[in-house]
Amino acid sequence: MIKKKITIVNDAGLHARPAAALVKTASKYESDFFIHLYGYKVNGKSILGVMTLAAEKGAELELEVDGPDEQKALEAITELINSGFGEAYEDQNE
Amino acid sequence: MEKPTKIKMSKNTEHNEHFLQGAPGCPGIAIGRCSLYKRQRPRVSDTQVDDSETDHHVERFRDAREEAERELNKMLGNQDDGSVTDLIKTQIEMLNDPELSNQVEREIRVNNKPADSAIQDVFEMYLQVIRKNHDDALERSVDMADVRDRLIQILHDHTDDIIEDSILVARELSPREIIEFSTRNIKGIIMDRGGTTSHAAIIARSMNIPTVVGLKEATKLIDTDECVILDGSNGEVMLEPSEEMLSKYKKLRDQQVAAQADFEEICKRPNQTADGHPFSLQANIEFAEEISSLRKYRAEGVGLLRTESIYLSRKNFHDRQLQQEFYESILELTAPHPVTIRLFDTGGDKFFEETEREQNPFLGWRGIRMLLDEQDLIKNQMRAILKAAANFKGRVRILIPMVSVLEELHEVQEMMKDIQAELEDEGVDTDNQVQLGIMVEVPSVAVQADLFARHADFLSIGTNDLTQYVMAVDRGNERISKLYDQRHPAMWRLINQVAEAAEKENISISVCGELASNPIAACCLVGLGISDLSMNTVVLPTVKQMLLAHTYADMQQFAQKVLESNTLEDIDQLFLNWKEKTDN
Repeated sequence: MIKKKITIVNDAGLHARPAAALVKTASKYESDFFIHLYGYKVNGKSILGVMTLAAEKGAELELEVDGPDEQKALEAITELINSGFGEAYEDQNE
Repeated sequence: MEKPTKIKMSKNTEHNEHFLQGAPGCPGIAIGRCSLYKRQRPRVSDTQVDDSETDHHVERFRDAREEAERELNKMLGNQDDGSVTDLIKTQIEMLNDPELSNQVEREIRVNNKPADSAIQDVFEMYLQVIRKNHDDALERSVDMADVRDRLIQILHDHTDDIIEDSILVARELSPREIIEFSTRNIKGIIMDRGGTTSHAAIIARSMNIPTVVGLKEATKLIDTDECVILDGSNGEVMLEPSEEMLSKYKKLRDQQVAAQADFEEICKRPNQTADGHPFSLQANIEFAEEISSLRKYRAEGVGLLRTESIYLSRKNFHDRQLQQEFYESILELTAPHPVTIRLFDTGGDKFFEETEREQNPFLGWRGIRMLLDEQDLIKNQMRAILKAAANFKGRVRILIPMVSVLEELHEVQEMMKDIQAELEDEGVDTDNQVQLGIMVEVPSVAVQADLFARHADFLSIGTNDLTQYVMAVDRGNERISKLYDQRHPAMWRLINQVAEAAEKENISISVCGELASNPIAACCLVGLGISDLSMNTVVLPTVKQMLLAHTYADMQQFAQKVLESNTLEDIDQLFLNWKEKTDN
């Protein structure tokens, strides 16, 4: 099992679409993936769980990956979060 | 901007028809009976199921999940808007959430709950966490609650009371709901909430459903089965219309529908006048969602990409990466045509506190004047545009708003050179064909058009602001708004002067103001040698139809007469003659 701390860099934070992107990436790997934040632990392959975190920009997540391809999975997830989820833009709310 | 709802009695006192005033959502007329749509939280059963029935309930949940996914995939198939597909994909992802299935099935098997209440309880658990932890809980939970309700509706075999061919009246609709209702022949949409640029309105436009938004109390004032007239282009809804009104609007609607049918055929035809002179029609847009109608009407690229609303409404647009991706998505979807990106054209008033407001914001710190003082803002934007341009070489044009003196253009030119050099130093690919042009909207620029034409790569005339400055009229001031007419002879002289300057320097010239959306004015512009026109996509077919119907030679003659006229009255007469000539 490996753990790693990482900070959310995109302004929108873990809104619906970034959450979908994160889950999609994590689900490609066999390893289990959990996210710890503010005392919560959620399954990183569950979009509903990730959405409840609603991590804002600047939030520090602890990633926990456990399984045969944990190293690769962690790298992919880290890259996605650091790239700001390649999100074009958020819905505007009027 | 949302207008306040006002109810006024019709001048015709014989009838009790009255109007509700909202904001335009999608142009078009709809006449008919209303269906009131209430988004109800479905009630779930509170019984317990027998152990022997749990398998059946698990099965029902799985079927409902699959059915919901099928529905979403079906919607996905009809969509090519990025935001719409993102929204649908996120909902599909929720349905496929492994935790969701595990927990719902556990609630059924372990706690003997029926499928509907198991779904309800599991979603409630997630929603509670969101409500507890986040101030903007409602906004965050909309999609989640929507998925929950749909699942339960499928289980209940729920059919809403929406009648086909009716006008839908709702407090608010989610984008998914609009997409879904569009497949059920909804004639029009009336919404209490939302503005012209709300997500729901944009989706309605891309579906071409006549829509009025922001009516505030329509759901209280309109009853199911009541007959109304909806006019999406001015945001009006008429209740209890008289027979006369009904027949008048039916005629109007039929004309529009007939024209609409011709539009597709018209849009397929090549862009050339009756005697083969080419012209180009482009789109003014602000959001990626507008691309589908740009494609439908075959606009040849984006003549004006407005960036300010995005900048104002999304704080994350300070993020260069996100900006770049926005530009790239627009470029990708409009290939192979050019895209003209206008730098943030905001007024300083957007930054000011109430007490600091400028007395004359239209003559104040706005457009390039503000950007040159806020260097981070403009440099970030230029960098994002230039990086996006590298992936779409030869297609990007940058447009500077509110230029009034040559120095402003020079300063931006220098800035662009510096940023390109920086990018090259960083080993980033660049496009050296990016063109830098200016808006012609301040009279000083129109007067010195020859000078600006020598230094800019292209000119784009913004007739809305130019008219206001040339005529010294605030179009919002009702006492004097009569003076505001973009077709005033003074405007034509200036436009002609700018066109001649551009032709002499052999640079491209276009008009992106409202004047270009007037089909007859468009003929005159082409006659003056301005053959690139940019407009809202909805008016594109009517403009094109007019341009196809006449010869370039006639347009030149027409333009000449317009230039020689003295008053707006003369212009009105010339336009009337041109219209009669078209109709015959």
